[in-house]
Amino acid sequence: MSSITTVKCSWNELLDEFKVGVENAIAELNSHNIETINGAINPLINRLSIMGNNFPKNNGQIFTQTIDNIIQNAFFPKNLTFAESFERILNSRTHEQDFIINELINGFIASKTKTIASYSQGPIIDRMVEAFSSRNDFHIVDHQFYAMFGDPNKPRAYVRENLQSLIDLFGLVSKQLVVEKDIKRSEEKVYTFYTFPDDILIILKKKYLVTNPITGKLSVSEAFDRNVFICLFLANTAVNRNNLNSIGGKYTVNGISAIFALILVLSFLPTVTAPPQILKHPSFSTPSMPISVIPKSWMMKKVLESMFEPLIKILAFRLGGTQWCEAIIYTEISKKIHNQIRFLLKDVNKWILGELCRVEIPIFVSILNTIQVTLQAQQSGGSQTIP
Amino acid sequence: MINTTEENGGIKLPKKIKTGKIREKWTDIFPRYLTFISHMRPILSETRRIIIQLIKEDPVLLLSPTILNDIREQEEKRNFRKVRASSEFSAMYRSNVYEIMKEFIEEFKKKLSPIELADYLIDHLHESIEALRILQEITNPDQKNWQNTYLHLLVKFIEDKVFPTGVNIQNRYKKLLNESKDFFESQRHLLHPHTFYRDKLENPDFLVIPGITPKIYQIINNITSLYNLAPNYGPFPEKAGYEIPMILKNEVFEAYIDSIAKTEQETVEKIAERIGLRIIDDLFLAPQESFIAILISNDFLRTAVQPSGNIRYIPQFSNETLILYYSAFASLRRGFLSKELINWIAMNFALLIYMGILKWKLSDDNIFYKIFKDLQTNEKILPYLMKLICFPKYLGIDKMKIRDSVQYRKEIFNFIGSQIDNLKKLIEEIAIFLDSIP
Repeated sequence: MSSITTVKCSWNELLDEFKVGVENAIAELNSHNIETINGAINPLINRLSIMGNNFPKNNGQIFTQTIDNIIQNAFFPKNLTFAESFERILNSRTHEQDFIINELINGFIASKTKTIASYSQGPIIDRMVEAFSSRNDFHIVDHQFYAMFGDPNKPRAYVRENLQSLIDLFGLVSKQLVVEKDIKRSEEKVYTFYTFPDDILIILKKKYLVTNPITGKLSVSEAFDRNVFICLFLANTAVNRNNLNSIGGKYTVNGISAIFALILVLSFLPTVTAPPQILKHPSFSTPSMPISVIPKSWMMKKVLESMFEPLIKILAFRLGGTQWCEAIIYTEISKKIHNQIRFLLKDVNKWILGELCRVEIPIFVSILNTIQVTLQAQQSGGSQTIP
Repeated sequence: MINTTEENGGIKLPKKIKTGKIREKWTDIFPRYLTFISHMRPILSETRRIIIQLIKEDPVLLLSPTILNDIREQEEKRNFRKVRASSEFSAMYRSNVYEIMKEFIEEFKKKLSPIELADYLIDHLHESIEALRILQEITNPDQKNWQNTYLHLLVKFIEDKVFPTGVNIQNRYKKLLNESKDFFESQRHLLHPHTFYRDKLENPDFLVIPGITPKIYQIINNITSLYNLAPNYGPFPEKAGYEIPMILKNEVFEAYIDSIAKTEQETVEKIAERIGLRIIDDLFLAPQESFIAILISNDFLRTAVQPSGNIRYIPQFSNETLILYYSAFASLRRGFLSKELINWIAMNFALLIYMGILKWKLSDDNIFYKIFKDLQTNEKILPYLMKLICFPKYLGIDKMKIRDSVQYRKEIFNFIGSQIDNLKKLIEEIAIFLDSIP
């Protein structure tokens, strides 16, 4: 679709759209069975019909609970300051969660930053981690920043502009140090530093500075990693959600909504017992993490697309209201972002002899629990909210 | 000057003719490898002797930092080395050793008696001296009895696990797959050079094999999932009556926004060759004939008879299916690896050997571990070890491509430090293997 359609965003319409989307997905599943495991398709259809019938019930109670209470609370807090949001997101990090969130959001940021600083070598977040951890005050000087991310073949104004958007993306700030007499030229010289906002600096210093007990020297600990920047990116986007321009515009809105939609759907996937040849496979032996097979039909393009499109809008509506919802437009670029998210999903899971096996992580488990509790409440006729 | 065409009768000569590198023979590199190790070992032996003497005089002396400082200064005065670089290194090394001992004494003097402290120090020094001895005797100047040297045994041991040799690609693939259960992380890591951005993907030389960049890795993952989901099927060109799985070339790149992965899209043919695929009808990506044989023998393809009577090969790939082919292919054509990949592979081998020996000889709480792991020590030993590993009897890759730039080395050593998790298990295996050598 090349023309931009004006999207009407009312909550009830979105819920209806979702219902239709899920029905289409079920119809698609019934017409194409690509499962190789016997019976794998039935639990999927069951789950999907529950989604279509029950999720929009009670004014979309399940959506509001999972999105507002769990996803937003952990990764996209509302009504907090930048520093508070950052701290909240940082604290919801767990080792297992890091892996998935890292893969999902890092992939998104990597492609986003790549379009900004296309010349720079290697993943940008890694290089930012490296640069900021080299000094214990979390500062880097502007020329160091230019050298790392700028393109020497482009005019300086262009480089500046692009780097500014990189700064905006992570919510960094610049500070100036004026030296009255420079030793070389005896002239006044202004040094520009890039650093984190003051409140964030306090959190970072508390969490990531370690003192060597013997030498007394302060240094940045190894725990300061790319996830700190991912948290920073999420906090910055969460706080400035109403100002689309400062968070990277429609691209960011599409990307974030798609990722959270994926987390939501992934949590409610059915579990299929792995067939014997997979259970016998040597790489299956990870008793600490239960692994189940993801039904293949779930990943069919038409199934995902018809379900995802309305779901992403629902996510956008809950995260950023009408403004975000209207930013979800069906241009080629948004389709590509959704596709990329689909591929990212396959990156975080593991293929074993043609079956995609997935790993359970806490956020999925807690979303699933909430959904199940609400479903039970709905079935028993009560409309009260169970936390 | 001979660089203008007119002066040479129209014959174009290169601006500057590079002379061959000087130190590229075994007999040149090996002494350089030994230089710093032969400085380190005596320093540790001296220190051990001094500690033993101190204890004999009065164990309490050990607790005073000033006494240790005095001893260090005395030792430094005795320095007779004429070469500035070596004497500087010795001074640095000695001061590091003493600093670490002082820190250790400071930390534990309340918990342990001076005699116990001295025992620990002597033990740790002894272990370190042993590790250095092994490093020194890893091979010999004229490669005498080379089959039984540590260097040869270790290179072959690691090679078998992550970059095996073999009569053909099938054989190499089989070896890799057997080890992939335990070492897939390391096998994959070996193909991911940190400096991938220096490699030119659109290299005009078809034969050169670069490492796997993060984006190529993602593309390989996409290809794997597309094969596993719902591939198309087409006739097997080399075998009538059979159908092979095919995926649309364009579908692989659909996930990327326009400016990203453009180079990869243009060079898809070369990328495909390295993972055992080929382009059919300019539209589809399908496995090569030789790869199909490998896939069948490893259960990555199963057969199903179609109503038409054709036999269809249905793919059931795993994450490692295509990556291991890349590895086997690179191993087979190891003479054509790109500069970055060669540096990366040689560096990883060198690091594995070095860390394996340390793991074998040093106890985990050895206080001198951090000197061995220090960048300054690493860069004195590993670069020469890298070159030794490249010789034909060992890994057999082009040692002329090993970069000598200090900056470059720092970059890759720094990076490997943060990536060591991938190699931990292999390092442990190496230590166990070393223990089993009679």
